[in-house]
Amino acid sequence: MMTNVWEAVVLLLLPFLAPNAEGTQYSPPGKPALTRCRSPEKETFTCWWEPGSDGGLSTTYALYYRKENSETVYECPDYHTAGENSCFFNKNDTSIWVNYNITVVATNALGSSFSDPVDIDVVYIVKPNPPEELNVTIMEDKGWPYLRVSWKPPQKADTRSGWITLIYELRVKLEGEDDWEMHLAGQQKMFNIFSLRSGGSYHVQVRCKPDHGFWSEWSSADYIKVPDYFHREKSMWILITVFSTFIFLIFMCFLHMNSNSLKYYILPPIPGPKIKGFDKQLLKNGKSDEIFCALVVPDFPPTTSSKCENLMVEYLEVYVSEEQELILEESKELHNSLKCEGSTSDNDSGRGSCDSHTLLMDKCGEAKGDERQTDGEGHPMEMEAQMHQRDWKEGTLSSAYQDIVSPDMSSGRVKTWPSVFSPLHQCGSTSLNQMNSLAMAKQHCLSDNLSPPGSASSFLPQSGRSTTETHRPNYCEFYSSDKQLSSPKPQAQTHRKLQAHSDINISHKQAGLQSPALRPTEYVEVQRVNKEDMVLLQPVESGCVCGDGCPQVCQDYSKVKGLNSDNMLLLHRDVMEGEEVRSHCEKQETNGCITSHITPATQKPTDCIPTVTPIVQKEMGLAVSGYVDTAAMLTLPTH
Amino acid sequence: MMTAVKQSGVWAVLLWPYLLAVSIPLDCRDEQGNMSRCPFISQEKLLDRIIQHAELISRISEESCSLFEELFVPFPLRLQRNTVGYACITKALPIPSSKSEIQQISDKWLLQSVLMLVQSWIEPLVYLQTTLDRYDNAPDVLLNKTKWVSEKLVSLEQGVVVLIRKMLDEGTLTTTYNEQDLLQYDVLPDMLESVMRDYTLLSCFKKDAHKMEIFLKLLKCRQTDKFNCA
Repeated sequence: MMTNVWEAVVLLLLPFLAPNAEGTQYSPPGKPALTRCRSPEKETFTCWWEPGSDGGLSTTYALYYRKENSETVYECPDYHTAGENSCFFNKNDTSIWVNYNITVVATNALGSSFSDPVDIDVVYIVKPNPPEELNVTIMEDKGWPYLRVSWKPPQKADTRSGWITLIYELRVKLEGEDDWEMHLAGQQKMFNIFSLRSGGSYHVQVRCKPDHGFWSEWSSADYIKVPDYFHREKSMWILITVFSTFIFLIFMCFLHMNSNSLKYYILPPIPGPKIKGFDKQLLKNGKSDEIFCALVVPDFPPTTSSKCENLMVEYLEVYVSEEQELILEESKELHNSLKCEGSTSDNDSGRGSCDSHTLLMDKCGEAKGDERQTDGEGHPMEMEAQMHQRDWKEGTLSSAYQDIVSPDMSSGRVKTWPSVFSPLHQCGSTSLNQMNSLAMAKQHCLSDNLSPPGSASSFLPQSGRSTTETHRPNYCEFYSSDKQLSSPKPQAQTHRKLQAHSDINISHKQAGLQSPALRPTEYVEVQRVNKEDMVLLQPVESGCVCGDGCPQVCQDYSKVKGLNSDNMLLLHRDVMEGEEVRSHCEKQETNGCITSHITPATQKPTDCIPTVTPIVQKEMGLAVSGYVDTAAMLTLPTH
Repeated sequence: MMTAVKQSGVWAVLLWPYLLAVSIPLDCRDEQGNMSRCPFISQEKLLDRIIQHAELISRISEESCSLFEELFVPFPLRLQRNTVGYACITKALPIPSSKSEIQQISDKWLLQSVLMLVQSWIEPLVYLQTTLDRYDNAPDVLLNKTKWVSEKLVSLEQGVVVLIRKMLDEGTLTTTYNEQDLLQYDVLPDMLESVMRDYTLLSCFKKDAHKMEIFLKLLKCRQTDKFNCA
């Protein structure tokens, strides 16, 4: 039952299925189309066409052509040589420089269709075969390798006779890469390729083209491997690198070794203060006593120095001498002082003593003057002589004073140590300030010895004078602690001499007597001043300098407190003494000269140079008999 | 005019010894018009020079044609690379057109063919110069090229004449001046027609220049290696 139905269905559907197989829709063939015509050597050529639909029936294709100058239609001579749907024209049928009009006709039972005609000229459709016998070799040019590529033209192309002129092109590529490097070789059949990669493997291909035509296909590739070669350029660079590294290392070593000196060269250190004997560590420790004592230089003021030796004003020998001796001494001293040349002093120590040319002159002059005065002390005649020499002395003093004052006062601390010893120079000043200055200078040196500032000491001249035995800082030793001795000393020398006199007098309790023989360096200490206005002196051990640690001596310095209207130098004592000292000091009366004190003993009430007083009055803070605190002196003018 | 005289003078100078050897030598005249000896040149060298000339002419003509085509010819009307639409003026010339034919003809005919071609193109190229000047925007490049080609063609003609005399021992050849139905020289009303005519002219000349080059090269091959050449 079911099978019958199926058969019926099949039978019904059969007519519908069958006609498709049979192609009931017959039609003439579709229009063919000539796709291309090519000639490999300009002697033959081939045309291919694309057939259209065949219309269901067997279709035959025919190719007809016509040459340009004739109307004769020819049919394709060869349909098979070139394959399917092609027409091959052999040599005999091929004309060059002649237009062909080619048409393809498709024909079937129902009809035929013609393709569009195509005009060709064989000259312009030449597409040669690829070049043959491609050969690649490696050549070397002065150590640099390069590739030599050679080939032959395609066999069919007649380039020897000039029938075809071919130009070639080759391409090179490294194995594994995608980019080809093109080279146009022209008509030559050989080519060189440079700039090879060491150890690389290359592919080479070549193709050709006629002057009017198409490019051929690429030839089969030829492979070649470039051998490894050491890049000379690289080796040079390696050498250069190594060498420069070596030099760089040496340079760094040099820098490292000389880093310090270079550092100082580029960034010189700022010089700091250098004070001889100044110990930073002590300062950090904070003990002021040690510091200041440490600053005291043992050999300062220089006594051992031979240069300064001559600069030292010797202790004035206190003796009554004739004027001739005076003159001699003066001349001697002049001579000696003149020898005071600038000696090299340690700038740092602040002595600068012997260098001070002018001061030295002044001091020497003053010393000279003092000598005269000293001599004159004992004798009124001498005094007269001194009076005569006053001008000269004054001038010396003043100039010396000026020299001393200006630089030193400002500093508050006497720097020029034996400015006293400055060689004699022309004095122009007429004031007795010079003498003051001289005194001050002496005190300066005392101050340099680090006597407590403010402690004024009146130094008593050594009774003797020696020019050659001054190995000690005479002036520094030349102090005397005198609580009472406060008279400003406009005439330092005078005072000294007077003191010497007084010393002698005191010691001997004689007036007017002078011991001709006095020990050259003998300290004299003012013990006290008695009620009769007598200064009692007592010898002190020589060689006792503050720096050596004689506390007593240091203590005996008295500080000038001030100057009252009565020309009284007010001294006040430092710690040690009691108030009675002060009272003593204050009661002390001075007419500006120390001599006034001693006059009772020496019977020289009027030995003071009157000019001293005014000077004292004028220069209040300047004339001192002993160590004077410069600070106090500065304040004195206001007095 | 003067340049033509100069060209001829140069050729005469080059070919004088041979011309002396041959029957009627060319007159070598310098600018002053004095007779002077021409320098000696060998046949091979002369042929080489002629071939160089022909190669140059062929290349320049091809460039001119493509330039003209780009500038003036509408795209649909452009001829395929492989064809020339209109008939060339030299179609009537008996010129061999296949390699087999060329292999069969003699050297004489080869040279004769070349000469015919050269001589037939001198006039049209001059005409082309005048027509191109009438174009509104013809670039100087094109004009210079066509001018150069026409000049060089004259030189080529002279060279070939000398070579024929030298090689073939023939007397002065009567230039087979083809009394062809040359193109109308008057301006056609239709611009397109005029353009197409000029285009055809250039294309035909391009092809003929190539012909000349091939013939001369074949001739050279025959001179050196007679049996292996085409």
